[in-house]
Amino acid sequence: MRLSDREQDGVVVLEPKGKIMGGPDASLLHDKLYEFIEQDKKKVVIDLSQVDWMNSTGLGILISGYTTLRNTNGELKLANVTEKIQSLLTITKLVTVFEAYDTVDEAVKSFK
Amino acid sequence: MTLELFKTLLFFLTGAFLVFLAITITRDNFANRLNRVTGAMLLFAGLGPVFIALGKMVDPITTSPVAFEDTTLYALHYAWEFFFPLLLLFSWIFPVDRLSGFRRPRLRYIIFLPYVMHLIIVLFFDDLIDFFGNLSIETSEEGFASIVTQPFARLISWLHLLLSFVRSYDINIFGAISIVYVITASYFLETGRKFVTNPRLITQTKVVLWGTRVGLGLLLIAHLGSTVLPYTLPETLKSALMILSVAAAAGLLIFATIRYQFLDVRLIFRQSFIYSITSAILVGLYIIIVIKSKQLLEPVFGEQAEIVSYAFIILVLLFFQPINHWVDEFIRSLFIRTRTDHRNVLERFSRQVISLFDPSKLRNIINETLKTTLLVEKVFFVLYDDKVKEYALLISEDNARRVVISRSDLMLRGINLLDTPTYFYSLADYREGSNLAGLLEERLVKLILPMKDADHLLGFVALTDKAAGYSYSSEDLNLLGVLSNQMVTALINARLYVESLERIRLQEEVTMARQIQLDLLPSKPPELVCAKISAHSTPSRTVGGDFFDFLTIDNNRVGIVIADASGKGMPAALMIAQTQAILRSEVCNGNPIDIVLKNMNQLIADSSSAEKYVTLFYGEFDTVSGRFCYSNAGHNYPILARANGSLELLTAGGPVIGALPQMVYQSATVQLEKDDVLFFFTDGLSEAMNEIEEEYTEERVRRYVQDHRSEEPQALIDMILKDMRDFDPTYPPRDDTTIVALKIHNGFKVYDGQA
Repeated sequence: MRLSDREQDGVVVLEPKGKIMGGPDASLLHDKLYEFIEQDKKKVVIDLSQVDWMNSTGLGILISGYTTLRNTNGELKLANVTEKIQSLLTITKLVTVFEAYDTVDEAVKSFK
Repeated sequence: MTLELFKTLLFFLTGAFLVFLAITITRDNFANRLNRVTGAMLLFAGLGPVFIALGKMVDPITTSPVAFEDTTLYALHYAWEFFFPLLLLFSWIFPVDRLSGFRRPRLRYIIFLPYVMHLIIVLFFDDLIDFFGNLSIETSEEGFASIVTQPFARLISWLHLLLSFVRSYDINIFGAISIVYVITASYFLETGRKFVTNPRLITQTKVVLWGTRVGLGLLLIAHLGSTVLPYTLPETLKSALMILSVAAAAGLLIFATIRYQFLDVRLIFRQSFIYSITSAILVGLYIIIVIKSKQLLEPVFGEQAEIVSYAFIILVLLFFQPINHWVDEFIRSLFIRTRTDHRNVLERFSRQVISLFDPSKLRNIINETLKTTLLVEKVFFVLYDDKVKEYALLISEDNARRVVISRSDLMLRGINLLDTPTYFYSLADYREGSNLAGLLEERLVKLILPMKDADHLLGFVALTDKAAGYSYSSEDLNLLGVLSNQMVTALINARLYVESLERIRLQEEVTMARQIQLDLLPSKPPELVCAKISAHSTPSRTVGGDFFDFLTIDNNRVGIVIADASGKGMPAALMIAQTQAILRSEVCNGNPIDIVLKNMNQLIADSSSAEKYVTLFYGEFDTVSGRFCYSNAGHNYPILARANGSLELLTAGGPVIGALPQMVYQSATVQLEKDDVLFFFTDGLSEAMNEIEEEYTEERVRRYVQDHRSEEPQALIDMILKDMRDFDPTYPPRDDTTIVALKIHNGFKVYDGQA
């Protein structure tokens, strides 16, 4: 997984690319989130449009990110959830936990 | 006559050999005091026999009326006696230089005084006698002057007498002095030995000591022989014994030099030297045989001896070739191929370390090799410790005492840049504020041998000066460079071995964990009258993150659970063990299913990090009513394939267990009928992947179950597993794969709820 980030209207947009699979990916996302939390940027959208595949550990990373932000009064939302990830979220019933939007813009707007 | 010639030759050769060795040793390293003293000692030792040989050669030729014993040339041979004070001097600097400890080191030259006097006496005796004789005539005058001159004259006459006495017994007097010198020297050598710890130096000292002892013994026989024994020894025997004593002492010294590298005489020198000697012996022998061949053959072959002798010479020549080789090999094995030769050192070292995997034994061998072959006084190791990820200076052999070196230490960084053995003083730039530099300085470290694997510094060996003050030669530095490369290989081998042991141990632990996990799984599914249950589980690694379990709740109800922890291997297995235990205890408390899952989630979420979770399906099957009550915590939807061909998915429930606290779960109930099939599985089945990265998919699982719903549960499991493995032959599977199947055999009496 490669991870880039940008900011849009005061909201952090993280753009992971490739496969989210645990191992180094976990600390990569974790460190990035903490970096923003320390700057008091706690509104985060993860754009999943470029994520090909995600396994159970990958999902664990998203959950961990969600918890981390929520514990600091922040919020993590998902955007561009692919069909595959959508079905994973559905089966695991985490759709009720994660707020997911079709586009990044919508996700960013939802913070207002 | 022939015997006399042989003796002369022997004397000459011994002397020449000693002189030659003296020159070589002195030239080898003139700056070294030990070389100078040993060289001088051997030079004077060699002069004795050379003079005697010269004397014997001159004797028959000389026609002068004066006896040869009275010539100056003969008198000069006493110069060889300087050997004795030099031996004494030698004993002060070998094996440990103790001269620098003397309060007035210049006074040491006093020991030469008696021999200077002896030389003066033998050289100028006649002139002195004449001189004193003339003086004594003047004292005969009467008068006042006689008062002054009388005692003076008496003194002179006493001196005259003393001189004559000394001259007539000089051999005995100076012989006695020599004996005292030799005894003193051997005493110093003996006490010096106690300072030595280096094993090679100990051997050298021993050989040198034996040399002095043998010499002393022969000297005593020569001198005491004439006084203690009733008959006097003939003068020739006496001098021969004396020469022999010197030759024995010097010979053993030479032996120590060549065999034990007492002095750092270059290998090439030793080789060429030994080669010349063997060649000389063989050529001499050959010539004698060739010369004598005619005499030997004449009586047998008569006039034809001439022709036969040529044939004989050719035969001898052919015969000598292998002998030459054999003698050469023998002498080589005796002198050249010793433990201290570089090629030999490397061979021995690599042979020893190739099969050695114990790092501390390896250090001992390195230590021993450096001490015996290069005479290094002390060896210290600074090694990287994989366990603590730090460099440490090992103080004691058993690794128990160590000083950890900070990785930012300047000296360590300096050493990290080295590739070859380097003198410590040349690292002066890295000394500032370095703890390591201080530690090395305290230990008088002179040379650093870095041990590098690619660019990683495994550590280094720190060497002090060589024992007995020898200095490192360029040959030594080359050897050390090659040795340190070998050490690197050996160290890496040892480390890999330790790692492989560790891996085996871990593997054993995993196998044990696997056994525990297998014990936690039900050995066989419960046997029911109304239904048949089968189960299968394959972990992707030795231990898995999947599990299934059957719980007996009461007489009628059976609990069925299937779960999959996120991740794989040991962490997932631990998670599973925890989940299983919590589930069992929650079910025992008699809570309804939704509460069981809610409590479980809370407990696990509180005790593990958010990214660790379990997808879990738990259902309770009532064997009397045929009702199946369940809750699905984020697990792949189990399939209910109805007898009529329709499919239902068991989706009701809540999020995965353990990810987030305060989750709520729904439960649902389905009524099972005859020939219905319930199929539970983990994503190892649905997410199996072929080589073009296509997934097996849940869709395919559903279709397969639908198509094969008439099969018995075990057959259904086997068939779908085969289908999956045809699709993805990877074994063990990429992910843990677990399947539980249940098929209803009997129909159930339908309750209407109020009954």
